[in-house]
Amino acid sequence: MSSQVSAIEIVTHPQVTESSLTKSQLRRIYTMRQLRWSNNRTITVFVLPSQHILHQRFAKERLQIFPYQLNRIWHKLTYSGLGVAPIIVKSEQELIQAVLETPGAIGYLSDEMLIRQRDVFIGKESSDMEEMQKVSSKGVVNVVKIKD
Amino acid sequence: MLSKLKTNAAAEISSIINDLYCSRSLLSRTVLFAFLLVSACGIVAQAEEGDSYSNSQDFQLHGFISQGIIDVDGSDFVNDSGDLSTELTELGINASYQLTSKFRLAAQIVYLDGGNRYAEGVRVDYALIDWSAFTNEQWQANIYLGRFKNNHWLYSSSRDVPFARPSIILPQSVYFDGFRDIAVGSDGVAAKISHSTDDYGNFDFQISYGSSPVSKEQTQNILSEYAQGMAEQDYDAQASFYWQPAFSSWRFGMSILDAEFTYDSAGINGGDFFYDSDFAFQFYTLNALYEGERWEFSGEIYQQRFTIDGFYAPGFELDNIGQGFYLQSRYKVTQKLTLLARYEDFYIDKDDKDGKELEQNTGIPYYFGFHKDITIGLNYDITSNFSVRAEYHWVNGAGRLTPVVAPNPAINDSEDWGMWALQLMYWF
Repeated sequence: MSSQVSAIEIVTHPQVTESSLTKSQLRRIYTMRQLRWSNNRTITVFVLPSQHILHQRFAKERLQIFPYQLNRIWHKLTYSGLGVAPIIVKSEQELIQAVLETPGAIGYLSDEMLIRQRDVFIGKESSDMEEMQKVSSKGVVNVVKIKD
Repeated sequence: MLSKLKTNAAAEISSIINDLYCSRSLLSRTVLFAFLLVSACGIVAQAEEGDSYSNSQDFQLHGFISQGIIDVDGSDFVNDSGDLSTELTELGINASYQLTSKFRLAAQIVYLDGGNRYAEGVRVDYALIDWSAFTNEQWQANIYLGRFKNNHWLYSSSRDVPFARPSIILPQSVYFDGFRDIAVGSDGVAAKISHSTDDYGNFDFQISYGSSPVSKEQTQNILSEYAQGMAEQDYDAQASFYWQPAFSSWRFGMSILDAEFTYDSAGINGGDFFYDSDFAFQFYTLNALYEGERWEFSGEIYQQRFTIDGFYAPGFELDNIGQGFYLQSRYKVTQKLTLLARYEDFYIDKDDKDGKELEQNTGIPYYFGFHKDITIGLNYDITSNFSVRAEYHWVNGAGRLTPVVAPNPAINDSEDWGMWALQLMYWF
């Protein structure tokens, strides 16, 4: 067993001006109770599938909400017409790509993934990650600090 | 090529819409049509862009497919024969399109087959314009126009979304399948105001006003199989308030409902045993929900008032106050496996809990005066969007079987009955 569990970083589209969020703001954004950034731009929320281990950790550690509670809130919005739920992407790579391509986007990544993407972007030697290079040619995501 | 595709899609959609008997309301039909047209264009445009993730920022498409088997022993809840039935099908597809930063279109079409529980067929579940009238970091105010879903009770908005509700069959004293099409939503206007604060938590206030079309089949389901006239809902006004304290596992809610119906008899010449009538229905609920890591508790307590003026005879009057509650607990054994236990207890007339007066005054057997249900069940999440569910119900009383106003004791000749059901559910 590895004793070092990777940290979870909150990332946004490069044009999002917020450099930090409070824990309650992050909760409001992911429970779809805050829909706009401070400059009035719409927030687009990306998540991994509910059984993805990183999603489960993000919900519990960063939002302090159980994953099943998030599902309930999102299902209610999606299937009753009341509102819009976060967009689900299959993998962390897709998530980086989606956040880079969507103005106003927010998502989460493991710090390993973030470091890999940065390495590729600044031209450090990388193995066979063509996909990652395609992503990185579009820029680097913002990392947002979460305050208590 | 693209424009041809769009035109074809539009023509096809328009013919589908004309076939939907439920979309009689002109308002929802117009909204739905505009919406489907826009969605069709959205799908085509998106397919051309070739996004690797299927839903974009402005256009989202979701749906669900579920099929089950259900076996009822001792009542006509699902079928008259009492045989094992596959009449447990629920399909739905919905789309949401952000027109501008303030306006959004959304609609869902469902196909339901539940045997005697409700009419089999396709329905427009909701078709609405959502106006985001005000939004900032702590406040949201939305106005919904068109056909909207009832969002006031604990499970009213998810009652026909199989994986989003807690059990295959919900507590019938609140989520009565016989009333499903009338109670699930309305054509009209609704408003929602949400407020979130770090100190006091989340507040949600909703209000709605509208009416639902009542089909001939529903009229007979609710009133009597011999009713030949037309029932109509004059209005349905509802309001609800929910509060979740800051960072709390608890949430509390309350709701009120006031609705009126009229029955227009076909007359003696039309072969109708019944007379013109007014019906009024009022319903008040209080609810609480606790969501822990493994344990979950929820419950609703309610009182209803049902009045009849006419129907059996001109000048006939009835005024019943019914009461009930259910308590439900769920336990998450693992991430994927959840157990359920629930007790439900309901009386149609609080002054006649054992139904003796009902039997004396009308000849309808006493056990039509109440409905009690003990339920156990389990849910297994196979993947993030594929689940299987099974449950058993021990039911005492026939107070929640159709038809409601003039029941059928010949087929429902048993005070105790039971059922089990198994359902597979997939959603996207």
